[in-house]
Amino acid sequence: MSIITQSIANADREARYLSHGELNALRGFFEAGSQRLRIASILTANAEKIVEKGSEKFWQRCSVTPSNSGNRTFRASCVRDQGWYIRLITYAVVVGDIDPLQESGIKGAKAMYTALEIPLRNVVECMRCLKEAALDLLTVADKAEVGPYFDYLIQGMTP
Amino acid sequence: MQDAITTLINSSDTQGKYLDNSSLERLQNYFHSGELRAKAAMTISANAATIVTRTTAKSLLYTDITAPGGNMYTCRRYAACVRDMDYFLRYATYAMLAGDPSILDERVLNGLRETYNSLGVPVGATVRAVQAMKEVTTEMLGAEAGKEMSLYFDHICTGLG
Repeated sequence: MSIITQSIANADREARYLSHGELNALRGFFEAGSQRLRIASILTANAEKIVEKGSEKFWQRCSVTPSNSGNRTFRASCVRDQGWYIRLITYAVVVGDIDPLQESGIKGAKAMYTALEIPLRNVVECMRCLKEAALDLLTVADKAEVGPYFDYLIQGMTP
Repeated sequence: MQDAITTLINSSDTQGKYLDNSSLERLQNYFHSGELRAKAAMTISANAATIVTRTTAKSLLYTDITAPGGNMYTCRRYAACVRDMDYFLRYATYAMLAGDPSILDERVLNGLRETYNSLGVPVGATVRAVQAMKEVTTEMLGAEAGKEMSLYFDHICTGLG
């Protein structure tokens, strides 16, 4: 849910218009919109590169993991999932909320990876590597915008 | 409830796609129009009562509907009608801020026509009143913001018709 739908839902619960304070918060959100879109474009354009760098780091740090066992399917799934997480990060950045991460990325993820016998510890490490690879491409201000979303993923996957 | 951003994200997510260029462009336009939307919402919220009064005067007050036998006759029904006008304006303002009509579908239009029919509220007169509200609002906000609000007033009319 964006700050927009959130503020509207709050106002509607009390059958009122949005307050000046709420509207000013929306203004701030609209103004920062270009920055968020720009970041999302950078991440989208570099998604493959981020996943590639992230995977390299990950397999260095966690060499004993299903995706590094020589099984091609496991390897491909690992790379595919990383791409999905980058995609969800771009959504979260654009909407300015953790909702896309929560709904499509975290709910049920621990149970799923556990069922697939992928150690959660390794999944978390993989997210850390993705974060590092992604932040390497961004300016300090942009890092500050994107970093917390990765942290949220890492937090959500931590066993 | 959706807004211009979540609608695009949800449909991309279902397809497993990144936001494409046309989506990004639409979002850019939405963000750029944000100041206009916020200002319009402030003006409407400060003048909501005036807008409703003018709308009623323009479209309903001097017609048969307020005379004995009309659906707005007796103050109780009159007040209910004015209250609904208030709702339409508030929800259209929400939708305009969100840049998306889903809140109107979910919270206003869902079952409204059936309710009006069962209460004997004339849909034609309601639609005329919403159209009058569109004109009153546009006069107050100016053409650009008025055009944006009109989208949602028209959405209400389409949903009622």
